[in-house]
Amino acid sequence: MRARRARRARLEIGAARIVVPGTIRPGDVIDVRALIEHPMHTGLFRDPDGNPIPAHFITDVRVTYGGEEVARFVWTSGISRDPFVEFPLRADREAELKIVWQDNRGGVFERSADIRFGP
Amino acid sequence: MPRCTRRSFLASAGLALWALVLRRPAALAARPAEARRDIPWKVQQVLKQLFGDRPIGEGHVQLDVPTVAADGRVVPVMIESDLPMTPERYVKAIHLLVDNNPDIHLAEFRLTPAVGQAFLSTRIKMRMTSPVRAIVETSDGALSWAAAEVRVTVNGCG
Repeated sequence: MRARRARRARLEIGAARIVVPGTIRPGDVIDVRALIEHPMHTGLFRDPDGNPIPAHFITDVRVTYGGEEVARFVWTSGISRDPFVEFPLRADREAELKIVWQDNRGGVFERSADIRFGP
Repeated sequence: MPRCTRRSFLASAGLALWALVLRRPAALAARPAEARRDIPWKVQQVLKQLFGDRPIGEGHVQLDVPTVAADGRVVPVMIESDLPMTPERYVKAIHLLVDNNPDIHLAEFRLTPAVGQAFLSTRIKMRMTSPVRAIVETSDGALSWAAAEVRVTVNGCG
């Protein structure tokens, strides 16, 4: 059971979702919600066998909108497992919203959502 | 003449009670206006490293955290500022500090006017009961903060 859970957790690292509203009008300030699956190990815990679990967490999140950087988050392991973040965005053009998460072991994960006007 | 009549006792008791009532709001008002010297030394060090000796003001920051967090591994945090997000002046960064965590400066959220509003919501880990501080930094270097105590029953940091 534990082995299966561990395998699943490893497989899903980096799986991400971005949620934007279904209907966007030009100029709206919309809510963007982003979730990524990541263990966010602090390096302070031990596994059930007593071995320390090395630190593994997301340190940097870059949000670009149509190629322009609109927000950047600097994180530590103090952000919860499977980090969630919600932030606003002024939707003033139809463009690609891209989020790139980077962790302390060189893992880079990215996900995009299209900002489109109309219903 | 008796020194302590019923009337004089009631009068003084009433006065004492009134004094207590008067003091309470004063004490409550003084808490958010916490001077920088009343902050734990380790937090002062972090503030000094981040902002030098720049003064940190009050207002324009709304921090929404639970008063009691059952699980320190997942504590929802919401930070909002009513400061405008115009190219001339905008909220450049929102800093999140937790006094009693191993990493006091938990996160920094850098924003640009393109987001249109200074708002952020996320979930954090907390080792134990601690003040949580949100510091808003504007593009012209002004700082403003809000703090709230969160009681934690399950350690979320190891």
